Amino acid sequence: MHKLLLLLPAVALLLSSASAQQISISGGNKTLSITTGVAGSEPAAVTNSSCTLTYKKQTAISKVTVATVCSGQSFSLSVVAVSPTKGVASPAVTLTNGMAAADFITNIPATGTTNATATLKYSASATFEQGNSAELGNDVHTITYTLVAQ
Amino acid sequence: MGSLRPRFNRPILLGIFFILPLFLAKGQTYGSASHTITVTVSTITNVTVTGGAVSFTITGANAVAGQNTMSATNQATSLQWGINSSTKKVTVQTNLTTQLFALKLVALNPTVGTAASQVTITHTAQDFLTNLGRSTGSCTLQYTAVALASQGTGTDSHTITFTIATQ
Repeated sequence: MHKLLLLLPAVALLLSSASAQQISISGGNKTLSITTGVAGSEPAAVTNSSCTLTYKKQTAISKVTVATVCSGQSFSLSVVAVSPTKGVASPAVTLTNGMAAADFITNIPATGTTNATATLKYSASATFEQGNSAELGNDVHTITYTLVAQ
Repeated sequence: MGSLRPRFNRPILLGIFFILPLFLAKGQTYGSASHTITVTVSTITNVTVTGGAVSFTITGANAVAGQNTMSATNQATSLQWGINSSTKKVTVQTNLTTQLFALKLVALNPTVGTAASQVTITHTAQDFLTNLGRSTGSCTLQYTAVALASQGTGTDSHTITFTIATQ
């Protein structure tokens, strides 16, 4: 029986994903509105940095990935992690409908404090050629951040 | 009598102990979180003139003996626009309700759309560029002032207005 105890690390690892919430977003849902533009240039991009991602260290080095679903996407949206307290922020990720999960924060160590945070900085842009919401509808992204073993 | 206890192979157990967690960790998902980001883009239509005010004078140098018509042209200004809605046009008009001399305009080398043939500018808006979809672009403004020798002398001071309108 005592030999079965040797399997405890594996069991603990399996159970870890079912334990307390490992990753969460505060700040809720947001709308980015592009309203101005300059002739000879393009509509002015807008940013939003009012959401925060909270994630927990794991028993192994981990990372956060990001992906989006946005049916009928017309405009451009990207996100970058600003000032992550653990791990390394990837360059800004362009969010496109149906994209494969892209690395967002990598090399999150298994040591140190439990919780880490990063500000989510979204940047929305559109060209004149890409049109407007009155004709094309809004882009509604469901953006998912996933904490996985690296 | 032999023992009925199951016999564990020690190397296999050690393998499970050290290697299985690595396999389980690789690609393991610890959790996920989602929220919604909505991007809205307003209808934006911008048009601007670059190059400043235009002033040209019809002088004796523009006159040809035996001809009543004298003219002078200017291509020092250009029009730029940005439109993110479909099927628009640009119209042109002057603030003058009456004018001494004719002032004509044509769009040269529009990067997008179709230039109307030379327009004689009046107080009523007239099509100047058509078939402008969602685009940003520019064209050169070629003004031509026309005076008849019989009209004598004088000055017209126009404020020219370009308007983006639905086609």
